Amino acid sequence: MSNIEYPKEILKSLEEYNINIKDFLPGHGKGAKLLLDFNKIKGMEEIEGVILKGKEIQNGIIADIIIKEGVKLEDPVHLCFGVNKETGVQEIFPRIIAEDNSEVTIQAHCSFPNATGLIHKMYSHFYIGKNCKFNYTETHYHGEKSGAIVAPVAQIYIGENSIFENNFTLTRGTVGKVKILLDIYAMKDSTIRSTVKAFGRTKNDSVRIRDSIFLEGENARSVLKMKAAAQNGGEVLMYGVTEGNAPKCNGHVECNEIVLGRGSICRARPFIRATDPEASVSHEASLGRFPQKWLDELKAKGLTEEEAIQILIEAMLGE
Amino acid sequence: MLLELKGVTIPTFDQKCNIVNNISFSVKEKSIHSIIGPNGSGKSTLAYSIMGLPTYKISKGQILFDGQDITNMNITERAKLGITLAWQEPARIDGLTVFKYVSLGIKDKSNQKENVIKALKTVNLEPERYLNRYIDETLSGGERKRIELAATIAMKPRLIILDEPTAGLDLIVIEDFLNIFNRIKELNMTILLITHREDIGMVSDYATLLWRGDEIITSTFPEVMIRYCAKAGLKEYCKRTVFQGEKTGCFDSDYIDRIFREEESK
Repeated sequence: MSNIEYPKEILKSLEEYNINIKDFLPGHGKGAKLLLDFNKIKGMEEIEGVILKGKEIQNGIIADIIIKEGVKLEDPVHLCFGVNKETGVQEIFPRIIAEDNSEVTIQAHCSFPNATGLIHKMYSHFYIGKNCKFNYTETHYHGEKSGAIVAPVAQIYIGENSIFENNFTLTRGTVGKVKILLDIYAMKDSTIRSTVKAFGRTKNDSVRIRDSIFLEGENARSVLKMKAAAQNGGEVLMYGVTEGNAPKCNGHVECNEIVLGRGSICRARPFIRATDPEASVSHEASLGRFPQKWLDELKAKGLTEEEAIQILIEAMLGE
Repeated sequence: MLLELKGVTIPTFDQKCNIVNNISFSVKEKSIHSIIGPNGSGKSTLAYSIMGLPTYKISKGQILFDGQDITNMNITERAKLGITLAWQEPARIDGLTVFKYVSLGIKDKSNQKENVIKALKTVNLEPERYLNRYIDETLSGGERKRIELAATIAMKPRLIILDEPTAGLDLIVIEDFLNIFNRIKELNMTILLITHREDIGMVSDYATLLWRGDEIITSTFPEVMIRYCAKAGLKEYCKRTVFQGEKTGCFDSDYIDRIFREEESK
């Protein structure tokens, strides 16, 4: 499927994250693709070893994305969930399955460039088999009017000896209201690395993210990093949970948040719990401004205070 | 003179006592000028004050840069005039690539990449290995110091203040750093070198000795070293080190003895 009509405005925000738009368009690039415009599937391209199934429902889609056993994909699977409208409700129910011994990167992008009262809900289930390498990267763009209400919920199961890497980024444009709930269950010898980055830029921006990792298998390991900045009255709450429920499992939670300007609020709640005497779980959290020494170092290179802060935000949020 | 300090006094934060008292010396353009002295003598304080760090404000005196009074200028204004500082322990700002970090102070953005590559080569880092690397925990302390030096060189400043640039480095790489300092000088930049190590100071044309916050002498490096050793009562060490260097053969044993007697009589 090529030359599809897909709102360029939705894809354009990819450029903000230095991602090539063409990679997402059917007929270009090598990876599998699924494009959604509001509640319509606008493009779907399978490749060998990847099964994509989608069914349109009233406000969105139900989709299956299956990476078959032993398949090692060189090119990412691209998913784009966009809405060009100002208002409405989009609901997505994806089920993502990586069968045993598979390797894949999924690059998902959610874009709502014109949102003034748009609701996006996603209920995802991930099943990652044994001995897999699974990388899930999700970028978001919610326009400039703080008009999106975004509420994704994900349940993620990571099989034995698998590596799961999750990167969620919402650092361009405004946030609107975001509430994310993510539960990751890690089985024996699995490794989880999860990084969440968000930037609330205006007083109408509110980010609430609760990411939980449950180390259920022996020797499971995890690092959960939550990084955020709140500016001009924006509000951020990062709630990072790690539970050690198996022998020799090891988890760490890190929350770093920067408050910029009066009225902005950052809250961090690293929460750790262990139910196994051989489990090891740790956390650290920091809130506030950037260390003065960092600012001085950048200013000694000729940057103003404002420029130095922007560089440090860029570095912290990996913009 | 590129930099002139006139009677500079820097108090502690609570202003109850002075960290350095009434310091006056000048730094010649395109030279390497060391500030030496034992730990706690005020060397780094003076360096930060010259850079304009707000917590190191001077209470008396004046700092002139190329004849212009910069005493009340902030860090950014001083950096824009051509002063910069390479920190003893540069911050590890995760998330910036080496390219981005080194290019921060480059004013002419048209030749940015070329300038970054040149700066990396000057500090003996292979650009192809480092340009896209992140400044994170995978970099060693030595690599981080070289990157910091490259970032200051790329700015093409007139004065680079190096705060203990060899602290924490292996002996085998120190020689390399001394060569880098000479290369920076060849690029027509001036170095103000803060060090408490006499072997590092040997690279300098001039030196100032600070002792408990007071300026003792500003002269050529060997002469300053003799005075430093005399203050510390290290006569044998002084004779061994000062006479060892071929470039310092201008002092005989009698001269050193006389300086030591002078110090002892104080």
